[in-house]
Amino acid sequence: MSQGRTLTFNIFRYDPQVPDDKPKMVKYQLEEAPGMTVFIALNMLREQQDPSLQFDFVCRAGICGSCAMVINGYPTLACRTLTSKYPKGEITLMPLPGFELIGDLSVNTGKFMRELAERLKLWLHPRNDEVDIHRIEAPMDPEEAAKLYELERCVECGVCVSACATKQMRDTFVGAVGMMKIARFELDSRDARSVEDFYHVIGNQDGVFGCMTLLGCQDNCPKDLPHMQQIAYLRRKMATALV
Amino acid sequence: MKVNSLQYQHTHYAALGSPWSAKADRIQSATGILLGCFLLAHLHFESSILFGKETFYQVVQFLEGGMFSSDGHGMPIVTKVFSIFIMVVVMLHAAVALRRFPAQLGQWRALRNHMQGIKHKDSHAWFWQLVTGFILFFLAPVHIFTMITNPEIGPHLSAERVYHANAWLLYALLLPAVVVHAMIGLYRVAVKWGLIRHRKGLRKAIKVLIIYLMTLGILSLISYIMIGRSLVLPITPFVP
Repeated sequence: MSQGRTLTFNIFRYDPQVPDDKPKMVKYQLEEAPGMTVFIALNMLREQQDPSLQFDFVCRAGICGSCAMVINGYPTLACRTLTSKYPKGEITLMPLPGFELIGDLSVNTGKFMRELAERLKLWLHPRNDEVDIHRIEAPMDPEEAAKLYELERCVECGVCVSACATKQMRDTFVGAVGMMKIARFELDSRDARSVEDFYHVIGNQDGVFGCMTLLGCQDNCPKDLPHMQQIAYLRRKMATALV
Repeated sequence: MKVNSLQYQHTHYAALGSPWSAKADRIQSATGILLGCFLLAHLHFESSILFGKETFYQVVQFLEGGMFSSDGHGMPIVTKVFSIFIMVVVMLHAAVALRRFPAQLGQWRALRNHMQGIKHKDSHAWFWQLVTGFILFFLAPVHIFTMITNPEIGPHLSAERVYHANAWLLYALLLPAVVVHAMIGLYRVAVKWGLIRHRKGLRKAIKVLIIYLMTLGILSLISYIMIGRSLVLPITPFVP
């Protein structure tokens, strides 16, 4: 354990709210503590050196997906990144590209996720529209539930969007998060939408046929979600849909 | 009253998904696999010159349908017809692959920013596929047109083309472009449709294949240049 090292942070600083502010990289130094994560280091920097430093966090445990940023060229969660991972002790932090910048390392992933959910209609469309609160809910097959749970693990951190060059080049592309959620409802037996319905949502250049399989999503997802298999599954499914 | 919201949504979605999106994707992958496999065969056939003039001669006679002719000699028309077929496949592949090209300057800027900011090997591999794909737009048709207009292949005939007609320059540029493009392409098509679950082994195999095919191509190109240098113009076709 590299204890007591001096870490050097190069942090992107820019506040769009401040008139005449220009994007710049600012250097900070901090003494490393045992088990320190980038998230802990950022909090210490803000407490001890620069209270104006902006970044997001809620859970500090890789569940909320708020603290995603680009760390030394890899988009990932700050709270799950140990500083000891970097032998040189130099850490460069950039905000996630592809999202609206709130300031410094803070980006508006929430706005993006909400727009995506509305556009792709990412909620359950029940088979039976008639509401009857007295009806007993049909049990779900445990295997199906496990499959859905696997895809539900997405924390909407935005890493897959930032890691995807396709998404960066085509703003309207739904990205891995969109396809993951579509796949989740496609697998759900309670959802009334047919393959053809889903085709009309993602069977185009903005959806699964726009994916160029660069796999930035697969290689960077902090929750290790099976993006590669999932997108391939959707591609096969959509390619054989009779539209 | 039952609200038929789904029917409404269906009509709302209808404008977004076209059957051609799926068709274009299937055509791109199918033509890509065909061309990639053809390249693997092509490079092995032409490098049979490394085993000597006679081996190459026999390979050519066999591929040109020598067993179907009365005198056992191959017919260059076979090469001509096959080259036309490959040209059509290349055009089809290029037409659907164009969907992937960044068409606007802003997209190139976004790609450059992404490549500079995010470290990701597969994205870089795709970039090289893009660059080589662009190069192939200009180099591949030149080679294929030559094979349509002058389909004569043989140890001396090919060597004449390589050395005396200066085709070596075209081949020296075409070889790395086509090998890199095709091998990364075969890798991508396998992961794209979920033909494999783990990429690590395939990635290694592709790297080995690129090195192997480049070596094969360079050695046979040198071989043709050497044969070409030793020939006196006008050349006489090789007969064993």
